[in-house]
Amino acid sequence: MTATTTATSSRKLTIARAMAEATAQEMRQDPSVFVMGEDVGPMGGVFGNTRGLHEEFGGERVRDTPISETAFIGAAVGAASDGMRPIVELMFVDFFGVCMDAIYNMMAKNTYFSGGKVNVPMVLMTSTGGGYSDGGQHSQCLYGTFAHLPGMKVVVPSNAYDAKGLMTAAIRDDNPVVFMYHKSLQGMGWLGTEKGATVATPEESYTVEIGKAAVVKEGRDLTLVSLGAGVHHCLRAAKALGEEGFDVEVVDLRSLVPLDRETVRASVAKTGRLIVVDEDYHSYGVSGEIIASVAEHDHACLKAAPRRVAYPDIPIPFTPTMEQWALPNADKIVDAFHQMMSQ
Amino acid sequence: MSTAITVPEDLWEGDNEGVITAWLVDDGSQVNQGDLVAEVMVEKAQYEIEAPSAGRLTIAKQEDEVVEKGTTIASLDG
Amino acid sequence: MQPTNDQRLWMYRQMVTSRHLEERIETIYMEGKTPAFNMAKGPIPGEMHLSNGQEPCAVGVCAHLNAEDVVVATHRPHHIAVAKGVDLNAMVAEIFGKATGLSGGRGGHMHIFDPTVNFSCSGIVGESLGPAAGAALSRKMQGKPGVAVAFLGEGAANQGAFHEALNLAAVWNLPVVFVIEDNAWGISVAKQACTAVPRNDVRASGYDMPGVHVADNDVEGVFAAAGEAIARARDGQGPTLIEIETSRLAGHFMGDGEDYRPEGEKEGLQQRDPIPRYRQMLIEAGLLDEAADTELVGEAHERVEAAIRFAQESDFLPPQAALETVFV
Repeated sequence: MTATTTATSSRKLTIARAMAEATAQEMRQDPSVFVMGEDVGPMGGVFGNTRGLHEEFGGERVRDTPISETAFIGAAVGAASDGMRPIVELMFVDFFGVCMDAIYNMMAKNTYFSGGKVNVPMVLMTSTGGGYSDGGQHSQCLYGTFAHLPGMKVVVPSNAYDAKGLMTAAIRDDNPVVFMYHKSLQGMGWLGTEKGATVATPEESYTVEIGKAAVVKEGRDLTLVSLGAGVHHCLRAAKALGEEGFDVEVVDLRSLVPLDRETVRASVAKTGRLIVVDEDYHSYGVSGEIIASVAEHDHACLKAAPRRVAYPDIPIPFTPTMEQWALPNADKIVDAFHQMMSQ
Repeated sequence: MSTAITVPEDLWEGDNEGVITAWLVDDGSQVNQGDLVAEVMVEKAQYEIEAPSAGRLTIAKQEDEVVEKGTTIASLDG
Repeated sequence: MQPTNDQRLWMYRQMVTSRHLEERIETIYMEGKTPAFNMAKGPIPGEMHLSNGQEPCAVGVCAHLNAEDVVVATHRPHHIAVAKGVDLNAMVAEIFGKATGLSGGRGGHMHIFDPTVNFSCSGIVGESLGPAAGAALSRKMQGKPGVAVAFLGEGAANQGAFHEALNLAAVWNLPVVFVIEDNAWGISVAKQACTAVPRNDVRASGYDMPGVHVADNDVEGVFAAAGEAIARARDGQGPTLIEIETSRLAGHFMGDGEDYRPEGEKEGLQQRDPIPRYRQMLIEAGLLDEAADTELVGEAHERVEAAIRFAQESDFLPPQAALETVFV
């Protein structure tokens, strides 16, 4: 089944559980699916997304690795090209520096280099995001960095329903997929989980199509576009602006590659106003790409200059006073809208 | 008949307090015996609470509320 | 190589200082984090990697270093920073994120930089070796005195950067020492489950440099091995790899449930706590008695308490200071 709207099942899951459930269901029906990464085994993943897998499938298919990302992500590329469907975890996306060659020069390019003869059906899952004072090497999003590089799909779920469906779709996809989950949505209490990410999630297996955005709230006056944790900031801002009498639409991108430009354009064509919210760095990233996608298509639909609420172009500071000040939040979105309306 | 869902005495070691971090079913919904209904966090460890019997769930302790071993967090009717 | 009596007492004092600092941080870190452990809360938010048990590695090496020598440490840096002579007040203020911290709170506990004593660290596993090799190269090229030391965990010895840096340091005959703190665990993964050799010092032979093993978290064993390696480096004889069998008495980070440890392991490690062992050794050697120990420990504690008061009484920088010290 393919679904694009939230189902009505009453059972709720955290994103961590949703990822683990999708993985377990695929592992049960496809012996080529296996998992590798640091602390993914008996510990169940530092962020909980492989919990229960080692217990059910054992150490042969749920493999703790050495701290050797270049080796095990490179190994996943090799295994994926040889009939397996590996799922590998890069514990923090910030660690991509030690292993990017395996990701963007091999995982992303081998299919093209082979003229389409060699598939690399693997999933690279990685944690993103800050807000809990983990400093500048453990708090980044880097969405734009990965989405910029051709050859790999990139998904960023904002809730457990999408996380499960996107995970299942990613595992079944014959292309490499980077699955970027946000720590504050993960359902690990110690990271202060966003409640809105823990939603009703069907037990049966299903997919959410990669490359399709979702309009999570309809409105006529303003389009807010975001992804991951930013979607929840947008929903709060939409509620606050709703109390002021404005009818705000919220688009959850869900996938960055492929990017669903049509849904964004259709929304802005209706509202005429666009604010993009991104926890990744301001420049050269998702926010610029979304605005360009609208402007290059039909700038006449815009009633005001688009705006972005993104992370400033600085390394992420540790101290909470500075970090919280720099992060996007609902108040900043509301302010950006007020500024837009006063011009 | 009503059955209480309490925090099991053997869920974690020691007498520390915990916090309900997530209800995994909505208030008022029907659950089956053994369904995972809630997560409780003690320090940084997460523990699972299962439904001891089937029934309609009435939540007594909300997310973020502090609980101890033996605390009644919900009841099941039916 | 034997330490002098002064060096022995210096090492003991640094270990006591570091341990007390970690114990105080442990308590303060938990403020605001119970009963719900939310890492973002309390006076010290974020991850916290304590060094309890690993003090011999820091003091046995740093006993041979001067301020001009370079040290690059890990995500678990406090004991090494203390032994290297990092300004304690400014370091603790940094851990609290305050204006008076080493970087005004921009770095935090995994990113401690004190250029006055040539100390730095990184939160990325295996990334200490390259910068240490580069500092050693710089000293060689500039004809300036000083050696460099990279600290790393045993898990880092499976990173590509480890092997590349060892080869580079050897082929360029750099004045650098690589010190592996083998605490047997990479978060939840045991050394033997992820490392092809039981001891990483044997890997030195692949790069034609001496590899030295120090067993049992032995302070003076570290002192001897490091002394020889640092003397070789100062003398232009090139790099050395040292692996120290140490112990992580705390979790990987604060809040770690440590369910992966075998039953009784932690209790066993605590019984072999290097600080009481060294204290006993100094008493038996006649260097310390109860009164002298009480005085030394009291002074070390007061130094830590003063640093904590300094941090607690300091203000935060205004949030907009996030935009400073980097071009935007």
